Amino acid sequence: MAQPTAAPVPADSPTRVAPSDQIALVVSDLVKRFGDTIAVDHVSLTVPAGTLYGIVGPNGAGKTTTLSMVSGLLRPDGGSVSVSGADVWSDPGLAKRNMGVLPDRLRLFDRLTGRQLLHYAGTLRGLDARTVKQRSSDLATAFGLEDSLGRVVSDYSAGMAKKIAIACALIHSPRLLVLDEPFESVDPVSASNITAILQKYVAAGGTVVLSSHSMELIQRVCDLVAIVVNGRVLASGTMAEVRGTGSLEERFLELAGVDKTGEGMEWLHSFSD
Amino acid sequence: MVAQLLGLKLRLLANTFRRRPVQVIGILIGLVYCLGATGVAMAGLSALRQVAPALAGSIAVPLGSVILLGFLLVPLAFGADDPMDPRTFALYGLPVPRLASALALCGLVGVPALVITTVAGAQVVTWARDPLSTVVAVLSGILIVVTNLLGARVSTSIASFLLAGRRAREVTGLFALAAIVSLAPLFALLASVNWDGGGLRVLKSVADVAGWTPLGAAWSAPAESASGNPGAAVLKLLIALAFAGVLWLSWRGLVALMLGRPARLESNTVGAGLGWFGWFPTTSAGSVAARSITYWVRDPRYHAALAAATVAPVLFLIVLSVAGVPIHVLALLPVPVICLFLSWAIHNDVAYDSSALWLHLASHTPGWADRVGRVVPALLIGAPLVLIGSPISAVLYGDSEVTPSLIGVSSSLLLAGLGVSSVFSARFPYPSVRPGDSPFAQPQSTGTGAGIIQSVSLFATVGLSLPAIWLALQGLVRAGDNGWAVASLLVGVGLGLVLLVAGILWGGRIFTRRAPELLAFTLRY
Repeated sequence: MAQPTAAPVPADSPTRVAPSDQIALVVSDLVKRFGDTIAVDHVSLTVPAGTLYGIVGPNGAGKTTTLSMVSGLLRPDGGSVSVSGADVWSDPGLAKRNMGVLPDRLRLFDRLTGRQLLHYAGTLRGLDARTVKQRSSDLATAFGLEDSLGRVVSDYSAGMAKKIAIACALIHSPRLLVLDEPFESVDPVSASNITAILQKYVAAGGTVVLSSHSMELIQRVCDLVAIVVNGRVLASGTMAEVRGTGSLEERFLELAGVDKTGEGMEWLHSFSD
Repeated sequence: MVAQLLGLKLRLLANTFRRRPVQVIGILIGLVYCLGATGVAMAGLSALRQVAPALAGSIAVPLGSVILLGFLLVPLAFGADDPMDPRTFALYGLPVPRLASALALCGLVGVPALVITTVAGAQVVTWARDPLSTVVAVLSGILIVVTNLLGARVSTSIASFLLAGRRAREVTGLFALAAIVSLAPLFALLASVNWDGGGLRVLKSVADVAGWTPLGAAWSAPAESASGNPGAAVLKLLIALAFAGVLWLSWRGLVALMLGRPARLESNTVGAGLGWFGWFPTTSAGSVAARSITYWVRDPRYHAALAAATVAPVLFLIVLSVAGVPIHVLALLPVPVICLFLSWAIHNDVAYDSSALWLHLASHTPGWADRVGRVVPALLIGAPLVLIGSPISAVLYGDSEVTPSLIGVSSSLLLAGLGVSSVFSARFPYPSVRPGDSPFAQPQSTGTGAGIIQSVSLFATVGLSLPAIWLALQGLVRAGDNGWAVASLLVGVGLGLVLLVAGILWGGRIFTRRAPELLAFTLRY
């Protein structure tokens, strides 16, 4: 299961992994049930500071449920989450101050303009007006939203809304970013733009936990990875440890056991003309 | 081309019935109802043939005016899915005048055309009393058909073209509300009329006015002729003709406009500044307040709540005045009633946020700050209303000594109500219309309890204001003793403030404790 990452780092892996005494996020034995189904089944993760941590898994694996509990939006049925030593559920003030969050599929206050939304996110985090103003314009430039800040967010495209939401998560310069599907519906140029921003942030000591469907992207940008299937962590560790000799996608398909695609669909191959 | 378009229209009409049986039955019921109403109108108009011209005119002209108003306003208020939209034909490169006339001619096919033609024919029966009146009535009938059908075409196009933008749609919803609201006094008027004697006088005065407007001119012309005023008849025919001409020109203009600009571009830029956020301190409470006000200004769901707060006293006044309560007493009601509904408007505020509430959780916004911010817009509207409205109401009542009582009762309803709402929106949210949906749409799932929560929060507000209300009533009964009114002021404002603070603190604690459950609630609906 979840392996500590203090083990000697293989030569071919990125070497940005911090020593284990600087742990940004510890998730232990997290459990969430919805009625009879167990969505998250004793998930444990350890994320060292200064790393990009990827969580991959098929649809319905429990990624969003896990990340919601990590970010303090969904109350867990068991287990604990601690951010830089502060427990998210017993000391939320401190834990949440250190955390920037991008939830998946939740609404934004989208009757606000982009500028107002950034201001709102910043001032709720306790920033003063001048700081918010300066950071808003920096973020807008970084995400290519300069011309859209005066528009109401509900008129944004899906990708633009995602970008303004990520900007809102960054505005208070948190130590830990929890991003659920940050690249979904974002165009390739913006995606590589966001990746570059995240990599710089990590290089400066920040920590990112993100989920994605794109194995190729996770393999390229993440230092550490966890494969979650049916609410359980099937493998975790440095990218090199998890993927072994193949690609992350091959390892993932092997673990998820989804190599039976197309069975029983022979009718699809005898074309009806 | 006209033949082809008419064929298309007939095909569309026939296809109305090619649906599932249940839908066809529904359509048939609607059709029967429509034809029944037409039949009644036809029979009524034919019967008016036996009646003196002045009386017949007093009935026919208001009827015709209401029908034309319906043809003009219904598409505007409720929008219309128009299969014969001129834009559909934009790609065929047809000349504008020909397309405009062809589409207008197609309007002659269909149920509305059948209805209006029948009614127009029936009014010829009413007025065919002498040769001149018959000629005038036939001309009027033609004008009635043309005006109604062209009017419906024009307003349908305006609804689907000029009002197609998001913001405009939000406004149209309010039009519909305004239309419904303005009908209420009409019904109250009808109910209050003494039909034995005064009723006809009312109708006659309506007919006299409407007859000189485009709405009723065509209906009034034959009545004038039959009453022996051929000059007035000709004048009214000219008014009706001019109106039809205006409609025709608008229709041609609209077709040209719609063909030239198939899609309307909406300017989305609201402003470069921070708007309300620039006016509030950058604390959590200040930001939530600025966000709330922005939503009250931009979100049609809050517009609907505000409209309800203004409509409620109007309905109260109508009902009570019909019941015979003297007008000067009624003058005391509007300000307190508006305050009651204003404070009640936010009793389900969290549900309005929907899942956007996560931002407050993620940033660990204190519960009390969330509560304070949500209360601010209602306070900003309510406070000036109480301070300005109370003296005016007192003057209308005829005794400025009731001003303190009015301020006391209104403040109590506003402040205590906001306290109640602060607790209720944190503790008992229920599904509401989702962001972006029409304020008149039904929520996806109403579940149980919405009605109970609505009435309990409303009655709790009234109940907590009873001390101020009781003192104010004492002051009214024992006129001359100013002490009661002052006591009402002090108790109303004082108790109101205490209850507001208590509600914010209590609601804030609930919010802090239950925030994840509140978010889970918004996600379920």
